[in-house]
Amino acid sequence: MQDHQERLADALAGCAKGDRNALRTIFELEGARLVAVAQRILRRRELAEDVVQEAFIQIWTKAGQYAPDRGSARGWIYAIARNRALNLVRDGKRLEFTEPDNLADLHDAEHMDHAANVWADLDRQNRLRECLSRLDETKRRSILMVYISGYTHGEIAGRLKVPLGTAKAWVRRGLASLRECMA
Amino acid sequence: MSAGRQDIDELADEYVLGLLDAADHVRIEAEIEADAALRTAVAASRDRFLALDLLAKPGAEPEGLWSRIAATLDEPKAEGLPEAADGVSHISVRPANDNSNAGWRRAALSGIAASLILAVGLGWSLLSQPQPRVVAVLLDNAGEPQAIVEDFGNASARVTPLVDFTVPDGRTMQVWTLPSKELGPVSLGLLPRSQEAVLDGPVLPQPQEAQLYEITIEQAGGSPTGRPTGPILVKGFAKMPR
Repeated sequence: MQDHQERLADALAGCAKGDRNALRTIFELEGARLVAVAQRILRRRELAEDVVQEAFIQIWTKAGQYAPDRGSARGWIYAIARNRALNLVRDGKRLEFTEPDNLADLHDAEHMDHAANVWADLDRQNRLRECLSRLDETKRRSILMVYISGYTHGEIAGRLKVPLGTAKAWVRRGLASLRECMA
Repeated sequence: MSAGRQDIDELADEYVLGLLDAADHVRIEAEIEADAALRTAVAASRDRFLALDLLAKPGAEPEGLWSRIAATLDEPKAEGLPEAADGVSHISVRPANDNSNAGWRRAALSGIAASLILAVGLGWSLLSQPQPRVVAVLLDNAGEPQAIVEDFGNASARVTPLVDFTVPDGRTMQVWTLPSKELGPVSLGLLPRSQEAVLDGPVLPQPQEAQLYEITIEQAGGSPTGRPTGPILVKGFAKMPR
């Protein structure tokens, strides 16, 4: 992991100097997974690829801003792609056309359940897993819906059929517990 | 920033998780540049949750994506782009002249198809009574006409599917319009099957030329939030019968 982070940090430094191969390295290390992360939020593969394309242009132009006080290189790179995906989804682009062929997939794409269960795939030793496991089911589920599927408070309230204030409180308290647990 | 530790950490989490409204998000993005404590809190928050991103299973190598990125870098204006605040530059990265891009072809085809079907739709709608205030031909992703909405402007609208939509079990089609940005999307009603239906919607401002109509796929019983949450099946813009 350390090596991976160092390679990414070096590659960002390379991008800042205008070395396009460095950007290519980042793409090879993270491109496919970034598409998957964006697709969890946007659902549509082609939109996810558009977002990752834009994210790489941003990584290229802003690589000079990266410094260790902005967290890990990997976290910085993922944040750029996540931000772009969230921007797009907040603009309503998730409500785009679905291909007729995809209609049947909607069943499988029960995003909510997927999001709520995915944390169990974290390593046993992972601190986040440990801390998530200590949360109430409702708080854990709300936070995962926000982080993994990019839902808003309002969408969580609608999907879990609770008032908006309740959804907000679950997220806020859940986040506070996680901060404390992981500190 | 005079906020306490707890507030900074909470703000950082909400920023990282995308829970702030657009204005606050942009404001925090700017503050990150000036406020070291906030910057550290945001960095910690990102790295706290990163493991969840790493669980995303990379699919097939995104074919052609790298060449699209490289092509964008070759555009003279991309290279010298001014630095924007973290995460907010809104640049268009579509290649300026990408003939393989299906987008514009779709748009052109949609336009042609829409004009043709609109002519048919209008002629047909004029024969029916009463006269709708606006007619919208709803197109699919490929620009094919799929349904017609006639909004009578008196809280009722007729929806006529032009194809057989198959909707998975436990889902329903829901018809929406966007009377104005302020009102946001409003449901005209559910369309349980692919069959002409007259929907009794809420009382809304008189429908206007170019007003958006769309059908989304929602869970049975309709969207739980009162806003479209599912994917768009078809959409189109209204025209007034002349």
